[in-house]
This record gives sequence, C-alpha cells and structure tokens, in this order.
Amino acid sequence: MSQPPAAPGRESLVSLRKVSKSYETPAGTWPALRDVDLELAAGDLVAVTGRSGSGKSTLLNLIAGIDRPSRGEVVVAGARVHELPEKALSPWRGKTVGVVFQFFQLLPTLTVAENVMLPMDFCNVRAPRERRPRALELLARVGIADQADKLPAQLSGGQQQRAAIARALANDPRIVVADEPTGNLDSETAAVVLDLLCSLSDRGTTVVIATHERDLAGIDRRVELVDGAAAVR
Amino acid sequence: MTAYQRKILRDLWRERLRTALVVLAIALGIAAFSGVLSAYAILTRELNRGYLATNPASATLVLDRLDDALVGAVARQPGVAEVEGRRSLRGRIKAGPGEWKGLQLFVVRDYADVRISRLTPQQGAWPPATGEMLVERDALQVVSGRIGQSVRVRTPGGVERTLRVSGTVADVGQAQARMEQVVYGYVTLATLAELGEEPYLDQLKLLVAGDRTDEAHVRGVAESVRRFVEGRGGRVRRVDVPKPGQHPHADLMGLLLLLMAAFGFFALALSGVLVVNLLTALLASQVRQIGVMKAVGGSDARIAGLYLAQALLLGGAAFVVALPLGLWGGRALSRYLSVFLNFDLLSFAVPAWVLLLSALVGLVVPVLAAARPVLRGVAVSVREALADHEVRGPGFGASAFDRALAGVGGSSRPLLLSLRNGFRRRTRLALTVATLATAGVFFMSAFNVKTSLVRTIDRLLAARKSDLSVALAQMAPLAQVERAVRQTPGVKAFEGWIVTEASPAGGASGPQAESKGLHGAGPSAAHASDADRFTVVALPADTKMLAPEIVKGRWLQPGDTKALVANDRLAARLTGFEPGASVTLSMGPAQVAWQVVGIAREPFSPNVAYVPLAFFESHGHGGTTNSLRLTLDDAAPATMPAAKERLDASLDALGVRALSSTSRYDGRRGFDEHMLMIDVFLLVTALILGAVGGLGLTTTMSLNVLERRREMGVLRAIGASPRLVWRIVIVEGALVGLMSGLLAALLAWPVSRGLGDLLVTLMFRTRLDFVFEPVGLVGWLAISITLGVVASFVPAWHASRHPVREALAHE
Repeated sequence: MSQPPAAPGRESLVSLRKVSKSYETPAGTWPALRDVDLELAAGDLVAVTGRSGSGKSTLLNLIAGIDRPSRGEVVVAGARVHELPEKALSPWRGKTVGVVFQFFQLLPTLTVAENVMLPMDFCNVRAPRERRPRALELLARVGIADQADKLPAQLSGGQQQRAAIARALANDPRIVVADEPTGNLDSETAAVVLDLLCSLSDRGTTVVIATHERDLAGIDRRVELVDGAAAVR
Repeated sequence: MTAYQRKILRDLWRERLRTALVVLAIALGIAAFSGVLSAYAILTRELNRGYLATNPASATLVLDRLDDALVGAVARQPGVAEVEGRRSLRGRIKAGPGEWKGLQLFVVRDYADVRISRLTPQQGAWPPATGEMLVERDALQVVSGRIGQSVRVRTPGGVERTLRVSGTVADVGQAQARMEQVVYGYVTLATLAELGEEPYLDQLKLLVAGDRTDEAHVRGVAESVRRFVEGRGGRVRRVDVPKPGQHPHADLMGLLLLLMAAFGFFALALSGVLVVNLLTALLASQVRQIGVMKAVGGSDARIAGLYLAQALLLGGAAFVVALPLGLWGGRALSRYLSVFLNFDLLSFAVPAWVLLLSALVGLVVPVLAAARPVLRGVAVSVREALADHEVRGPGFGASAFDRALAGVGGSSRPLLLSLRNGFRRRTRLALTVATLATAGVFFMSAFNVKTSLVRTIDRLLAARKSDLSVALAQMAPLAQVERAVRQTPGVKAFEGWIVTEASPAGGASGPQAESKGLHGAGPSAAHASDADRFTVVALPADTKMLAPEIVKGRWLQPGDTKALVANDRLAARLTGFEPGASVTLSMGPAQVAWQVVGIAREPFSPNVAYVPLAFFESHGHGGTTNSLRLTLDDAAPATMPAAKERLDASLDALGVRALSSTSRYDGRRGFDEHMLMIDVFLLVTALILGAVGGLGLTTTMSLNVLERRREMGVLRAIGASPRLVWRIVIVEGALVGLMSGLLAALLAWPVSRGLGDLLVTLMFRTRLDFVFEPVGLVGWLAISITLGVVASFVPAWHASRHPVREALAHE
C-alpha cells in the first residue's frame, strides 16, 4: 500500500520504497512488512500504530538501520541504508538516528551523564571536554540534570526514559525513533515523555514513535500497520 | 525418556559451547588427579617390585678383607639365608681431555652366580672379561661413552689403566648416575688385579632367613654375624642395614607423588569453579522456567535434582574424556620418574582403586560445586520467578560498591564500561580471578623457588672459598703435598685438611677417603647405625678456605682443640649438638668428648662436624692430610680440567694419590640436576592450573557476553561500531586477567615461600633463602593479560557480529 510523499516544499528525510521484510522461523516464512512505501520530511512527528506483531518495531528498525529489508529501498537522510555495509551502519546511525527503547536500555554500569556522553564518544562528534557540558544540557532539557551522576538503577522509570531521550539526542540526530517509549510507564509519566518527544519535532527533528497510544496530541501523521501493511490516518 | 530427563540433556546441549569448556576444565582436573594417582600406584608397586626382584642385600658388613672360608662360615650362621662377598672401591674415570669423573667400581667374584643385589645385563657382553668393565646403563652418558670404547680409569692406588667398556647393566639399587655425576663400573677380581689393586673382597652381603621386611630381625642377624666375624679375628668397619623391602628412594618418590596428587586434586577443585559459574548463569537465565515448573507442580527437590543431574553429567562426561588422558599422563610420569630413579617398569597396569577414586572424585566435585547455586536458584518464589524480567530484582547500582565504582571516572566511557562490567557479577568475577590467580601463584612460585634455590646454593658455595677440593686416597705427608702444590702452576693458596667419619659414642674409624655428594657420606665408620654416621672435617681454626654462616654460637678459633661446630643438618639429625653441650664421638680407636661451640648453616650438605686440625696434630696425625683445598689464579670452568690435570701430575710425581678432585663448578652441576625435578613439577602444575584458569576465564567471558547481548545491541544501536563492541569485551577480559595477575602477585610471596620450603624440606631437609623473582611476576602479568584477551576473543567476536535486531530482542 502506497503512502503519500512528504509535504511539498519540505525536504524528504525518510523514504521507504516497496519495502518488505520477512523472517524465517521454524514455522515457516513470516512476513513482518509488506510493500510499505513511506515518505517523511524533516520535523515530521509520526506515530506508527498497530496491534502487537503488526510490524511497528520492524518498520522502526529499518528506518534506524538496525535491520535490513528483504526487498525494497530505505533511504534516510540521503543514505541508502539498505546498501550500507555493516561497518558503516553503526557510525551512520550514531550520527543520524537517535533510538529510544521501551525498556530504556540505559547501560547499567554507566552513570546517567555517562550514558548520554557515550554516543558522542562512539561517533567522536564533539571535543572530549565539550561532551559532559553537552550531556548536562540535554539532561536539563529533559528535566533530570540533578540525576546526572547517578546510576540508572537509582532512577525511576520515567527518569530513565528521559535519560534515554537525552542519550538519543546526544549527537543532534535528524531522526529519533522511539519504540513504545511509554509502554513501561504510568500514564502520567507517559504523557510527560510523549510531550518531550513531540517537542523535538518543533526543533526540526523527525520523530517516529511506535505506540499503542490512541490519542497523541500534536501528531502530524499516523501510520497504522495491519499485518505488515501500512495505512495513513 | 521422560520430559524431565529430556530437559536435563537439552539444557546442556543448548549451552553446548560453554558445556564443552566446563567439561574440558573438569577433565583437566580429573586427568591431573588420576594421572598422578595412577603414577603413584604404578611406581610404588613397580619400584619395590623391581628392587626386590634383584634380591637386595638385607645387610652389608664392610670388613678389612674377607676370604671364601669366611663367606662359607657366615653362610652357615643361623638366620643367614644367603651370603656373598663383594667389594666396592672408588677411583676415577677419564671423561675427556683433562676431565676426570668419579668412578664407583664394584667387584663381583662370579658373575654367573650373583644371588644378592642382582645385576641385569642390558647391552653388550655378559659377564665382563678380564680387562673389561660393565657400566651401569645410565652412567655411559656421564662420560659420553659407548659400548666397545676403551676408557682410562685410575684406581685409589693411583694406577692408571685402560679398560674396555664391554656392556651395560641395570643396577636398580644405585641412584641415577647422571644426577650423581658418578660412573658405576663392574669388574672381576682378575681385572682388579690388572688395575694394580690387591684382588680381594671386603664386603659381606647378607640375605637373612625369615621375615626380611622386619628391620629389627635384620639388624639382629647382622649384629650376630658381626660378632661371629669379629670372633674369628676379622674387623668389621661398618654395618649397613637399608630400610627393608623398600627401594632407598621409595619414601622420597612417594612424598613427591602424594604432593603432586594433592595438586591434581586442587586442579580438580578449581575446575569446580567453572561448574559454579555455568550453573549459576544457567539458573539465572531459567528463572522464569523454574517459576513455570513450580507453577505446574515441580517441587524444589525435583527441580534441584534436574540441575544437580546436569552437574553429574558434566562430571561423567569429563571423566570419560579425562580417563585416557590421565592414564596416558600417569604412564608418561611413571616412565619419567622410573628413569629418574633408575629402575624398569614391568607393568603399567593401573589398579581398580585408582579408577574408582578418580571416578568418584570426578563425579562428586562438580555436584558439590553446583549444590549452592542450585539450591539458591530453585529457592526463588513462583511470583518472583514469573515477574517480568525487567522488574525482577535490583540491577547494577543497588549496592554501595556499585555506587562507589560509578565514582571511578575517566574520559573514556568504553573503558569505564569494560571496567564496571567486569564487576557486575562479582561472585563469578571473584571465582574466575581466584582460579586464574592460583595458576599465577604456581607460575611465580616456579620462578621464586628456582631463584631461591640458586640463591641458597650460591650462599652455600660462597662460604666455600676454595676453587678446587682434592680428596686423597689415603693420608699423605703434608710437606710432600705442599711441595707438589708449589710445583703446580696457577695455585694461589692451599690448605691440607683431614676428613674422617664419626658417630655418637660406640665405634671406631680411622681417617679415610672424603665423602661427598647429596646423599650423605659414602664409606664410613663403626657399628653405629649408618644413619647416625657423619663426616668430620678437621681444618685449621684460622682457615681461609671456609667461612660458613654461623647461626648459633661461634666458628672455630685459634687455640681451640676439642671444639666442634656442627652443621645445621647434623644438629637436626642428632640430639645434643647445641652450643655449650658436650658430645662424645667414636672416632678411630678412641672415644673423644667434644665441646660444641657453634652451629653452621649448610643447606644441601650431608651431616658434617668441623673440628680444629690442632686436635689431630696432637693425636698423632700431625703433618698429614687426606683432603686439600686450593684457590687458583684462574678458576673459570673452562680452565678447570687443565688445572686438575696439572695438580694430579704434581701429586703423582711425589707419590700422592688423588682420589677425586671437585671444582666449584662440578658441585654446582649436581645441584642443578636435582633442581630440575622441582622446576618441572612446579611448571607442569602451573600449566595445568593455567589451562583450568584460562578455560574458566573463557567461560566467564562467554557468559558475561551472553547475558549482555541486548546491551551489546543497544551499544550498536546508539552508534558503537562492531570493532568498538569487540574492544569493550576484550578490554574487560584483559582487566580480569590483570586483576588475577595482581592478586597472584600478592599471594605469590607467602605461598611460594611456603611451597619452596615444603619441597626443599621434603627432598633435602633444609630451608631456602627466599628470593622473589621479578621475572615471574612480570611474566605472569603478561600471560594473565594475554589469557584475558585470548579468552574473550571469541565471545567478543560473537558479540560484535551478532545482528543488532537479534541482540535487542535477546531476553
């Protein structure tokens, strides 16, 4: 099923053309995505919804270069992601895409600030002495600057997810993908986290959120996946 | 097969790589344990069997001389089953240009009728014809000789003749010739006559009737024979009664093997650490399954049984792998030690008790090791077990230690990750580090003990100021000797000593040939027990050739006449040798009371007492000597043979017969041969423990990576390259290696000191001058870090190659 292109006059940042992804399982071939076309522009705030197993995570993984399509093309920020060699994918991802996970996935042995500095270390995007101030600035932005030197286990779930968002923003990525970022949070905290993510698009970052949430305030587009096929609301 | 049993097998199969590593580590432990145990069983059986098959003499009486009539008469004495006349005398054999080695010549009347202390022909002729000599099989290499070769030998009388080496024999009762640096030769009386010696025998070798293993009975018979011989006018100079029914070195070998078996068991116990790590990780990954099993009716005992059965299977599989390896190792070790102790192995059969004990220990150790983690693992409640993975329990950061560790900062986050990740599973880390550190302790101990031995020997030799010691065949006028020495170019200084033997009051002995070597005095005195005899060295009180380390009292002083300084070995062997005490000794025809004035430390020496030469001068031996000490202008090892030859020639020219001459360098070689065994033992132990430790580290790193697979995915998702992920794991492995190296370094000092003392006390009854060898420390640090890198290489590679999506989906 085809999707309309990005709004005229705005730069197309994500382009999926005829993308299919299937997995080999003991029960046979399982199609996770089928012929998905998707165009996203800079600053888009997109919600990917659908039932469990509908292909939301697969779609986000393909955009983030975490997975490769079985068929079709994935072009993100000008890079033909499906053709990038494995070696080039990590640095590309570190600079271009920020990833937020459902279970936060902060590294437990690093402090919150260190977790945020880590992508900067990996991609060497700032001078070493600028990395901590940058991390603190991002933590302040998500409202947990006072937790900077604590270990993740000492933070609440909501605080951990905010830290994860700060980490996703560490290298000023053009795209942030968030896979069920509120799935493990209470509704009040979930609202705060969603507000945070939504606010990113105001600064020109394309945000793609896979979610079960039905009512997302300020959402630009909703892509609903049904059995691996996409439909726009 | 029930579902329960299938789960036992499939869980292990699912973790097959780690299972294989753990099985291999346990197998190494079992192999080491069973190998040493089977060597112990083979050697103790074969050594005594081989030795007893030669019909070793129950006792040997050394007379001035004996004839056939006396032998016949003794044979008819009650309690005597067999008797045979023999003779043994010391000479020298030429090993190269100007190089002479010690020769112990045994004279047998009739080679066709050897009934006691039998010799076994090996190669070449049997029996030796006149003018020929058989050589103990291990001794040929001492003179780099071969069968058919002619060799120059010099008798105690100073006559030098050529003998043809016509064959080799095995003489099980003799120590390994290459270690003693002595050639054992076997000749007939006719050959002895050709060598210019009077052809008589002087030893009665007895085989007692009745219980030959009863030492009191043997001593009783030997004593009655002594009285019988003396009643006929003969003079018995010495009675030797070896420990009945046992090879002279059986005790030493048994101790060494038991020590090795203890370390084999230790290696096995360490391999249990891997079982702990594997099952702890398995249980941690199966908490949810345990919850489900409990929810569907599984009792704690049934579920614990499931995991304990896995431990039992690990032990069983390891035993199957280890058994052939252990048996092969046992054979190899037996062969090595049989050559070392100079006896043949007739059978390599391993008794059933060795197999049973190895199987039992191999099966029990893994189960015992698994017991605690299994019981803890299955104690989890159903609710807790079925709770979501992410909210099951406190993670890193819950303890004060975690928070303190988080305070360790640094500019490299990847390095911090490696460091802090290493401490996440602290019990696993502690066990892994301890296992590897144990190997490190043994590795460093090998270096420390070796260096300490060298230092100890250096100190001993440093006390001996002479470059060359010459033992004379008999007492010689000092003036004549002095003239000969003066005529010898290159001699800087010289002293003439008297070396004799004594025993605590009871017998008589005259001055005789000097004894040497590590196994105590050679031919010696009187009726006292052979173990109580010791060497007495009479030397000028102001000697410049000896400056022993005095540990109690004082050294001899000018003006002393009946003062005695005992070495520490003698003081430990016999009671009453304490400064200030008076001891009465049988020396020659008289009993002499001595005042003990000091104790000298002389590691690796036989029992020796030093007395002033003034005593002998005042008792009729003035102006005589039988032992020379010399310092030379040039004491380099290469110049020694020429120096010895020059001195021999000068002494010969004046009719003085040298029995042996030993340079400082020669003394060192004998020690080095003995040290080899300790070195090999420590290094092999370190190697086995190192392999177990390395496998432990590999298992640990593999488990660490497995448990953190999702984190690796996250790292990749936020921009870490596969190479960086690989490096984080490798650095973690190297840090674990470094930690174990540092722990080993801390422990190595006390452990190697204790271990060195234990080994040296067992083998030589002395203590070490301990030295910590930095080469061992640096070497082990390098090895442990390398092991850490190597052990984490494959897990790191897997971690870095795993698809990010799969890693993120990993539970």
